Amino acid sequence: MRLEILIAGRGGQGILFLGHVLGKAIAEHTSLHVLGSETYAAETRGGDSRVDLVVADREEEADFIKVMRADIALFMHQLQLDAYKDLVRDGAVVFLDSSNVTDVPQRSWRVYAEPYTDIAEREVGTSRVANMVALGHLVGVTSVVPPEAIESAIREVVAREWVDVNLRAFRHLLRKGSA
Amino acid sequence: MAVGHPLDPYLRVDRIPTMWCPGCGLGVVLGTLLRAVDRRIREGQLKRENVAFVGGIGCTARMSLYPLFDSAHVAHGRAIPFALGVKIVKPEMKMIVVGGDGDIAAIGGNHVLHALRRNADLLVVMVNNMVYGMTGGQLAPTTPRGLYTTTTPYGNPEKEINMVRLAAALGANYVARGSTTHPQLLEQMFYKALAKRGMAFVEVLSTCPEIFGRHIGFRNPADLYLELRKRVVVKARPSVEESDYSWEKGFVLGEYVDRDEPGYIDVYSEYLSRVLGSGG
Amino acid sequence: MRYEYITGNTAIAKASITAGLKFYAGYPITPTSDIFEYLARELPKRGGHVVQFEDEIASINAAVGASWACAKSMTATSGPGFSLMLETLSLAVITETPLVVAYVMRTGPSTGVPTRSGQYDVLQATYGFHGGLVIPVLAPSTPQEAYDLTVRAFNVSEELRTPVVLLSDAVVAHTYGKVAVRERGEVEVVDRGKPSVSPEAYRPYDPLGGLVPPMACFGEGYNVLVESLTHDERGYYAPRTDIQRRLMWRLYRKVVESSEKLFDYSATHLDGCEHALVSYGSTALSARAAAKLLREEGFRACSVTLRTLFPVYEEGVAGLLKGVEKVFVVENNVGLYFRELRGVLRDKEVVSVPLIDLDMPLPQEVAGVVKKWL
Repeated sequence: MRLEILIAGRGGQGILFLGHVLGKAIAEHTSLHVLGSETYAAETRGGDSRVDLVVADREEEADFIKVMRADIALFMHQLQLDAYKDLVRDGAVVFLDSSNVTDVPQRSWRVYAEPYTDIAEREVGTSRVANMVALGHLVGVTSVVPPEAIESAIREVVAREWVDVNLRAFRHLLRKGSA
Repeated sequence: MAVGHPLDPYLRVDRIPTMWCPGCGLGVVLGTLLRAVDRRIREGQLKRENVAFVGGIGCTARMSLYPLFDSAHVAHGRAIPFALGVKIVKPEMKMIVVGGDGDIAAIGGNHVLHALRRNADLLVVMVNNMVYGMTGGQLAPTTPRGLYTTTTPYGNPEKEINMVRLAAALGANYVARGSTTHPQLLEQMFYKALAKRGMAFVEVLSTCPEIFGRHIGFRNPADLYLELRKRVVVKARPSVEESDYSWEKGFVLGEYVDRDEPGYIDVYSEYLSRVLGSGG
Repeated sequence: MRYEYITGNTAIAKASITAGLKFYAGYPITPTSDIFEYLARELPKRGGHVVQFEDEIASINAAVGASWACAKSMTATSGPGFSLMLETLSLAVITETPLVVAYVMRTGPSTGVPTRSGQYDVLQATYGFHGGLVIPVLAPSTPQEAYDLTVRAFNVSEELRTPVVLLSDAVVAHTYGKVAVRERGEVEVVDRGKPSVSPEAYRPYDPLGGLVPPMACFGEGYNVLVESLTHDERGYYAPRTDIQRRLMWRLYRKVVESSEKLFDYSATHLDGCEHALVSYGSTALSARAAAKLLREEGFRACSVTLRTLFPVYEEGVAGLLKGVEKVFVVENNVGLYFRELRGVLRDKEVVSVPLIDLDMPLPQEVAGVVKKWL
């Protein structure tokens, strides 16, 4: 088994953090192997922000670290969807933050679109955790990693006072995905 | 039975005679240094196995070859960081860095600068013969202006470096200028310097009749020795303003700085205790 | 043992602590500073020392000094800093000082692209210092290998009393991976041999019939001599051809005759392989993926990742690739390690696949170049 996951958005949307939590959950809480790489523009906010994860059940299958034909993709912004859509294979599962993505190309993707940013602001009180809302959706739909693994990773990485808000955000679309 | 030298117990006697030329001042430096070490050992203030000599490259650096202690003869200019590496791991060591003016002030300049800034717990003995002796008479940063060297054959156009002023400015605990023309004074400086925490920096004006002497017309060792002796004057506690470095006007010998600020090992140990105290 | 999701650089830092690192001296440089920063946080808590020096020259010299004070020592740098360190690397060779230099390659020459990758310095890593000898060079291609090879680098440096270069690159440095992190006691840790004779009888460069002399340190009463000049077993300067021959050949042999023991690689689909893509470092991941693409197209392709680059174990490399028709050396430079392998695989067609890329060459590009030769 070999799985390519692409996560992309604009700087400031918590893309690297999302990717780190997902990678950490896979590495430390499952038997799968994973390689992850981060790409970001020099500016902290506004530029491209991207995480590539290559997940495999055998170590040797986790080879080239850049996504070439993503099986799972998450785009938090229109700019990055436009920039990286060709890295997503036909038939891929694609998640979109419909708060920031309006123009979806005609492809044979299984598209899941929810307004992650609006949901985070409305339901959790801050758009800063839109990334965790999106991650919940992705994990719920794809089951790439057990939700408990993500929650453990969040608890290990996030400062104590922010754990709850991240967990709430993560759980919001988790069941919607699996339903 | 051959009559031994009183310092034989501190020497690798099988390496004597030294490689130094007849009339070289380095024998005086080594002798006074070992006598000072001997006094400190006899007084119980130094343990012999904790004394180490480190030299870079040059005639002075070769001084590290002869003492029967732990010693290192390393890369040109790099004796100070080597010695500091040892000192940080084993603070009980008394690290003595021996180097010429080229080794310490030219190629090792950046290292001595930062060791002085750190007030690093080293005794740095810079023997200044005002020329590159081992390599055959090239320009040193200490060569008096106007003098002939093989790489400034029309007379050195450059200003000389005053290491006493530099050492004092950057915060060494002990800064002295001695000379091989005044061995007792030199031994006393070393003796005092060995007990200092922080950086002790001793510049030793010395004679290289074979190279420097030849350049300036004093090839006979005694002539050069007497010439240097004419140009030095001893002062009790001279001020740094009196440290001017001038072959023409002469050199003031003495203890320019003698203070007791925390040394590098003190502040570093405090840093480590903060690390451990912070629950690490 | 536990699994952690960490970068290649963090893996190096963590592994060095497990391997017994006690002294780290460094100067900040991209892309190695996070090794330095991790150790600055963690090593002092474990009784070690981390000091920032005024430049890379001071850093490596302090590390050499610390090693002579019995502390396992390391510094880390990239091309510009390694170039400054070369003089003292040579000192470490002749004084037989255990030392690990983590060399994280970035795009060059000169300042190049400091944050991006390349493998331009693979030959410099072992041939860069003056004196014409060989030092071991280990090259990780993943964070896990960075961890494992760091432990190995320390062990080799202690066992052979030699500096060892751990040759990583900017891609490995910043790639996250699942890494089996081990504690002391869960890995083999080698310490340098100590003298068993009295200080009076001790000769610091006497290998006692073997190739590696026992090593006393400063402060133990052995009156050790660290000597940069050509020296005899006592450490005394000896400008004589017979002494120089004896010293050179011993320093050479102790590393080269360990090449079988040091040889380390991984391979996929070697059975029945006709076209072997040989690579190292992060480019090995491109080569491995390219071999897979070629197999999907029906070619009998395999990939070999070399983890030990120097000393070259000639019989080992030749034996490994015995049944292969063509060997493709894939690397992110103008074709440097290819020269080493061509010399070893004289009876085989060895093709250079030099692909310069600021990150890693794309597998499709590697496969495309290889296919032109099939």
